[in-house]
Amino acid sequence: MFESLQHLINGFGIATTIHNLLYCLIGAIVGTLIGVLPGIGPIAGIALLIPATFGLNPTSAIIMLAGIYYGAMYGGSTTSILLNVPGETASVITCIDGYQMAQKGRAGPALAICAIGSFIAGTIGIFGLVFLAPPLAEAALAFGPPEYFSLMVFGFIVLSNVTGTSLTKSLMMAVIGLIIGTIGLDPVTGDARFTFGSISLLGGIEFVAVAIGLFGIGEVLVNVDQPSEMLEQHVFVPRLRELYPTLQDLKKSIGPILRGTGIGFGVGLVPGPAPVIATYASYMTERRISKHPEEFGKGAIEGVAGPESANNAACQSAFIPLFVLGIPFAPPTAILLGALLIHGVSPGPMLIGQHPELFWGVIASMYIGNFILLILNLPFVPLFANILRIPKKILLPLVILFCITGMYTVNNSIFDIWMMLLFGGLGFLMRKWAYEGAPLLLALVLGPKLEVAFRQSLMISHGDFGVFVNRPISMVFLLATAIFLVIPLIRMVLKKQRKEVS
Amino acid sequence: MALSSLLLLQLFFKRRQTIVKKGTVVEPSGSTKQLIFFFGTMVLVTLFFNRLGFPLSSFLLMLTLLRILGVKRWTFNLPLSFMTAIVCYFLFVQWLKIPLPKGWVGL
Amino acid sequence: MLKRIFSILFVLSLIVVMPIYAAEFPTKEVQIIIPWAPGGATDLIFRALAATTGKYLGKAVVVVNKPGGAGAVGYTETAQAKPDGYTLVSAITPLTILPHQVTTAFTYKSFDPVINVVKDPGMFLVRSDAPWKSLKEFLDYAKKNPDMITVGNSGAGGGVHLIALAFEKTAGVKFNHIPFSGGGPSVTALLGGHINAVSVSPPEGIEHVKAGKLKIIALFAEKRFELFPDVPIVKEQGVDFVMGQWRGLAASKGTPPDVIKKLHDTFKQGMDDPVFIKNAKDMVVNLSYLGPEDLGKLMAADHEFYGKLVKEIKK
Repeated sequence: MFESLQHLINGFGIATTIHNLLYCLIGAIVGTLIGVLPGIGPIAGIALLIPATFGLNPTSAIIMLAGIYYGAMYGGSTTSILLNVPGETASVITCIDGYQMAQKGRAGPALAICAIGSFIAGTIGIFGLVFLAPPLAEAALAFGPPEYFSLMVFGFIVLSNVTGTSLTKSLMMAVIGLIIGTIGLDPVTGDARFTFGSISLLGGIEFVAVAIGLFGIGEVLVNVDQPSEMLEQHVFVPRLRELYPTLQDLKKSIGPILRGTGIGFGVGLVPGPAPVIATYASYMTERRISKHPEEFGKGAIEGVAGPESANNAACQSAFIPLFVLGIPFAPPTAILLGALLIHGVSPGPMLIGQHPELFWGVIASMYIGNFILLILNLPFVPLFANILRIPKKILLPLVILFCITGMYTVNNSIFDIWMMLLFGGLGFLMRKWAYEGAPLLLALVLGPKLEVAFRQSLMISHGDFGVFVNRPISMVFLLATAIFLVIPLIRMVLKKQRKEVS
Repeated sequence: MALSSLLLLQLFFKRRQTIVKKGTVVEPSGSTKQLIFFFGTMVLVTLFFNRLGFPLSSFLLMLTLLRILGVKRWTFNLPLSFMTAIVCYFLFVQWLKIPLPKGWVGL
Repeated sequence: MLKRIFSILFVLSLIVVMPIYAAEFPTKEVQIIIPWAPGGATDLIFRALAATTGKYLGKAVVVVNKPGGAGAVGYTETAQAKPDGYTLVSAITPLTILPHQVTTAFTYKSFDPVINVVKDPGMFLVRSDAPWKSLKEFLDYAKKNPDMITVGNSGAGGGVHLIALAFEKTAGVKFNHIPFSGGGPSVTALLGGHINAVSVSPPEGIEHVKAGKLKIIALFAEKRFELFPDVPIVKEQGVDFVMGQWRGLAASKGTPPDVIKKLHDTFKQGMDDPVFIKNAKDMVVNLSYLGPEDLGKLMAADHEFYGKLVKEIKK
């Protein structure tokens, strides 16, 4: 362990050279810009800038590209809060309470808490990465298809009522999400499902299109539906003092931030779009633990602090499988893998041993990057908050422009834009009739994976359902799910008994 | 496929218990016309996005949407849309080098 | 007044657009469409190639990802693009597989081949602590226990899956194929011991072989790897089977032959560029140049081959 510390110090030495600091800064700035623009997320950003790194040495290249990755995470929350448009997929949950806070004139504190929470999460996360990387990676390997299935069942059941509004409505939304998730090629047999002969549907419906459509475009349409006088107004803009979080805000947020970090770090180790799931899990936890859950959905700062920290922590832990096993679990890390390969560095068990300066240099620069982003973002909070001063009738067209452009940049596909508009319309209707979008998105993300894991498990076990309970980890999750479902029932029964007695 | 439909059926049964609560009915008002035009513009621009190319599409989009929402002064509307289109072009196409449709203007 | 200015601007922009008579190809940048998401092996190889070819071509070569439909979206778009040489597509083995599995608007015949860049053999990996020390032991076990050995692949109906199926036929055994969403997850599952073996193509899994965690139990190449000279190819062990994946470039059908020649020559220069050679070596891919006619023949042969194979499976 002390060897690790020694390496880390070396790493700091490397990361703080003028060159690398500069690359880190560039990466962070570009990443933030990319994150702010809806649609284009770290994936595209990193991929597009790989050619720009050709002339650099591997360490500097990865420092810059990693900077883009979490810069994008930071930037994504900005548009979520200000415009209810998720800057990138993991920022969806932030829209829920963050936007409400902005509507109440508390955009400043929301943005600031995001930055602060992300920073704290990032810092703790990095230490986790440094000291726990190898054992965590081994643990991650122990997850095979049956374990994933059970984990996802657990996640799905627990998280589908994430916002706490009507359970039945949430379930309905979740079911719709599941159905949408089946569109495209069956991952196991290769058959086309629900594609109606359309080539564009073969790949399924792009998650980003649904997310931006439901939340961003939906929100814009709701606004447009209001009479013209309302559009002249702008959102209530606070005085300078109100632009930063109060002491009370900070006190309230510390718990969520720490919990979010823990949750995010753990979830980030699981393959798939971990940051998204981490945010859902954190939000759910905070809501359950909170002494005043009614505030959630109306601008509770815990609902922003927790998920954002989880988000950032999940990004950190996503690096573990990449560096230790050489296997990327989330799409952005896949691109980073590619970048590493192009630079002649092959990630895998040998990476840390063969290229210690790369590994530790990148880790150190991650810390510095977090720090830079904090410094970059905090002063900009008033600037960003002032964006809300722009009268809605000018702001709304701009938002649409950015949504359409951003959407296109994901897959260079006009079809995606159509999908986005379609879901925009749907999102509008959903708002009118008080349905929540979050469960739909969760189902869209988890559903396909759940199905694949289920079928893979059965294929491996030749149809034996026992495979789910014979393996300890899988069993644990299934039990947890069962307990979770049963507890409310027990409570109800106990309440009835008590009533009868008294 | 069978397995997936099984899973779906399972959840469908839960759905049976739902009572669809229809909230406020949308009353046609001036703002609904606005809504329809707004949405219609988005659809139209998307239809021609590839052919018109990014700079032109963004210009037209901004122009039309601003007008629909009530910005009547052309002295304000035109330059704003123009500037937005130019800034976005430089930001995305030139600086970030993101591939965006070229259209016949050839940009 | 403003309307006047506006219309003048409008007319001016029209004039600017007047067709620039193509003096010589290329007058603007060339696009390579990659029908998969960024970050995959194909994506990386062609991004590297695009970077070096640009300077020989005189104009930039830009990579555009158009994922979807297991490649269908990108291929369809290129097949329908104007055959003027400005739109190319990364033609890889799945191009000859896909049309047999789903109804597509294209086949390899919708394209004019330009050049082939790499060719990598397929291989099976197992964990170093697996009970089978050699291919013979592996196949013997498989013969005695049909459908028991689980072999992962990067996707149902994908390149390595079909390689595994073809190998099955040739070796006379039956495996239990487990699909995953990509090479990464399939190798992970092997590392975790959830499956017995995995069917991959470099650079997937190479790192773990280098680290000693996994070993190559079957190599479907013409000759041994330079990097692992002790690993025998299956041919040497009595199974006459060679199969791999190729990756090249193609343009839409009807592109003028002189444009194709120009493209071919410049991409060849890009391939011979020392920077690209180094990149390829680092990625452990096997450069294998083929000219347009040879690539065309390869595509035709594979199309036939996979047609038959897919029919066998569907039975």
